[in-house]
Amino acid sequence: MDLLKAIMERRSVRSFQADHVPEDTLRRLVEAGIWAPSGGNAQTWCFIIVTDGVSIRRLKMLSPGLLGNPPAVIVICQDIAEAERKGAKLGKEILSLMDSAMAAQNIMLAAYAEGLGTCIVRSFHPGGVQKLLRLPDYIEPQALISVGVPASVHKPPKRNFDIVSFQEYNGND
Amino acid sequence: MISSIEPKAFELVCYMVTSACNLLNENRLYGPFRLIDAASRLIALLEKEGVKSKRLKEIQERIVAGQYRVMEDEKVFTDFLQDLVLDLIPLMEDKTV
Repeated sequence: MDLLKAIMERRSVRSFQADHVPEDTLRRLVEAGIWAPSGGNAQTWCFIIVTDGVSIRRLKMLSPGLLGNPPAVIVICQDIAEAERKGAKLGKEILSLMDSAMAAQNIMLAAYAEGLGTCIVRSFHPGGVQKLLRLPDYIEPQALISVGVPASVHKPPKRNFDIVSFQEYNGND
Repeated sequence: MISSIEPKAFELVCYMVTSACNLLNENRLYGPFRLIDAASRLIALLEKEGVKSKRLKEIQERIVAGQYRVMEDEKVFTDFLQDLVLDLIPLMEDKTV
């Protein structure tokens, strides 16, 4: 699949068919995430793949942004203690978030290439999700990605392309 | 004995309580979005429990059709909410319900 085409055609999907997503497919998606760049090569992330229906329902109760009924949810987490040890304040507060975001985009593009829909979600209660998934205090959930076969796909929001300057900032007018 | 409606009602309550907490620090349009989404979920729950209502169904269908405009265009979303409220009035006055 052409990468640029995938980037432009991927959408946030919030309505899924009931079809199960095979475990090996989900593993491939997470492996794509693990291939993302990592600030200082810290790689302090970890990934929880949730496919059990009861667990997903409980996750949804703590995650208002997790819409529809996805058959799988990938929880991207960061070992914050290790991120701080490796990258000091920058690693803990900035790079870990950037790493999670870059891993998330890889996962979503890989899912698109597999014919799956995804939606990245930050509207969840971190403490609640941490408790529900039995995460230790130093493992912080940073993003959820719902995964499944799309039931419907919405049109993309408008994009503004007049925000690019060469050499120096030219304003956005 | 737990009634059949209890687990779904519990899910909805959890969704609303977590939303209340999260909305303290979220996009201001997410508040209206969560409220209409909760209304839609409540209607779905009632329907599943045998509450048949043409006007509730109509409201739910309108919500489902328009709620994701919050992600696309703020003005379109706010216009959608205004229209939704004004269109409640004939449903309030409907004597056939």
